[in-house]
Amino acid sequence: MERIIVLSLSVLMLVACRKDRSEPEPPAPTPTPQVAGVLKLTVVPIWEGQPLQMFTEYRNHADQRVTVELLKMYLGELELTRPGTAKRLSDVIYMDLGTGPVSHYWPVDTGAWTGMRAHLGVPDALNMSDPSLYGAGHPLNVNNGTYWTWATGYRFAMFEGRYDLDPASTASLVNAFAYHPGRSFCYLPLQFDPAGGMRVAEGDTTELRVLVDVERFFHSSEGVIDMATENVDHGNVPALALKMATNITLSMSLE
Amino acid sequence: MRLAALLVGSALLLLVGCRRDVDVPPSTSGERIDGPFALELPPGFPPLPEHGGVPLTNASVQLGRALFFDPRLSRDGTIACASCHFPDRAFSDTVPISRGIDGRTGMRNSPPLTNLAWHPAYFRDGGVPTLEQQAIAPIHDPVEMDFNVQLVAELLADKEPYASLSELAYGERLSAFHLVRSLASYQRTLISGWSRYDRYLQGDPAALSQAERRGSELFNSPALGCGTCHSGHDLSDHRFHNIGLYTLSPDPGRARISLDPLDHGKFKTPTLRNIALTAPYMHDGTLRTLEEVVDHFARGGQAAPNKSPLVAGFTITDQERSDLVAFLKALTDERPIDQVDLP
Repeated sequence: MERIIVLSLSVLMLVACRKDRSEPEPPAPTPTPQVAGVLKLTVVPIWEGQPLQMFTEYRNHADQRVTVELLKMYLGELELTRPGTAKRLSDVIYMDLGTGPVSHYWPVDTGAWTGMRAHLGVPDALNMSDPSLYGAGHPLNVNNGTYWTWATGYRFAMFEGRYDLDPASTASLVNAFAYHPGRSFCYLPLQFDPAGGMRVAEGDTTELRVLVDVERFFHSSEGVIDMATENVDHGNVPALALKMATNITLSMSLE
Repeated sequence: MRLAALLVGSALLLLVGCRRDVDVPPSTSGERIDGPFALELPPGFPPLPEHGGVPLTNASVQLGRALFFDPRLSRDGTIACASCHFPDRAFSDTVPISRGIDGRTGMRNSPPLTNLAWHPAYFRDGGVPTLEQQAIAPIHDPVEMDFNVQLVAELLADKEPYASLSELAYGERLSAFHLVRSLASYQRTLISGWSRYDRYLQGDPAALSQAERRGSELFNSPALGCGTCHSGHDLSDHRFHNIGLYTLSPDPGRARISLDPLDHGKFKTPTLRNIALTAPYMHDGTLRTLEEVVDHFARGGQAAPNKSPLVAGFTITDQERSDLVAFLKALTDERPIDQVDLP
């Protein structure tokens, strides 16, 4: 059964490449010499240890009332690593975390691996590419609602919701927040190395589970979001964009 | 069989030509629809730049033209590209800021759409590097068309003339990929370079009146220096300048893209071709007449922190101002910008 999954994944990778365009295509994944196992990456949105519930009222670090209404993000240049080498898994993946955990699968070589590295966002070459190249199902398809038409590029993350600065209030949340970090300076590295590494065995699926603690988006050792003054960035507030992008990367950890 | 298909396609083009408030010039060029588009460039113009896209063919240009005038590119079928880019206004609008879907107000004055093939970047802030990518922006903009290029392609793919023209142009069903390339192809064919001033430059001294010639000399004089930025075949350096329209521009302009504070309030130099047709002027349409524009530059604009040193003001008499405006009015094309139906 697992061999069938591996074979299906290989076929999927093959048919995913479009060759009918004169425009440069996004780089194809590096061919796999020995497809013998499967890596499953699962990204799990949480709020302080519990599964994130959209449209549910939470309290942030400053005791402000917050709901999350939209949570999307890209990871770029995902690579499985081991000493002296790395295997490119994908140039970019898209995740709509508003519907819960998101999983991606890749056929990989067997053996020991140190972990995975990636970036928050879309690599430069793809970020500047023509979105009309990408059909339905492609991470860069415009239907994902992540493309900035006016600046030619993608929002690396879209984090939206509502808030109330008054912790004592019981009124409905009406103030909207929207953080859309993007552009090359927000393309930040990520590293996920399980303690003791990870082993992929022939015919097996090895899972890497990454938790995204959305509560940490508002504060980290690198910066605190002051919602009173920092509640909207549509690519026009670079300092806020970088702070949010940094906080997002720091919110991610292995389960 | 092919001829019949071409004729049917042309007839359909005519049928879909007039929709709502957008007047679509009828197409009559069915017999040459399937070959390379015979783009005519004005004397002295540089060759059309390589754009890395599909070649200009009659079918791709016709397809782009049909799309340009089709309000079904907007969510509720009310706004076409031509709703804010009128052919008889050098493909610009007549109001300071165009209104899009549901009467929503846009952000900037709609620029004329001529000689776009030579622009290094699009929009007044230069945020988009290709015409293909530019074509996506108004379709997705919530205050313009508020739709989705994939959905537009799906909506139109099986309708004529799109089904026939897409097959002729690309050998495929219309997709978002073809849609944006066709719009870009059509816009690349909108060429301006047949004004009386052009004839004058080509050796016809009678092409300009005495007043217009005096205006031309003023335009290119070191004292006024208009020709420093409004230069070349498109009468634009296509670079970004703050001309002191505001002390602190409410629109960041180029800085929106570069995030560099020194670019605040800078906008791409507009072409002056057909300037008499493209009022009101400036990125936000605040100046109503060419006389007001001349007066702005004569005053040297507002004292903006990063104002171009080229905008330093000058002294001009009423007669000189009249001559300068007369010259600017001689930059209007004497033939249609849209070459699709030229004999």
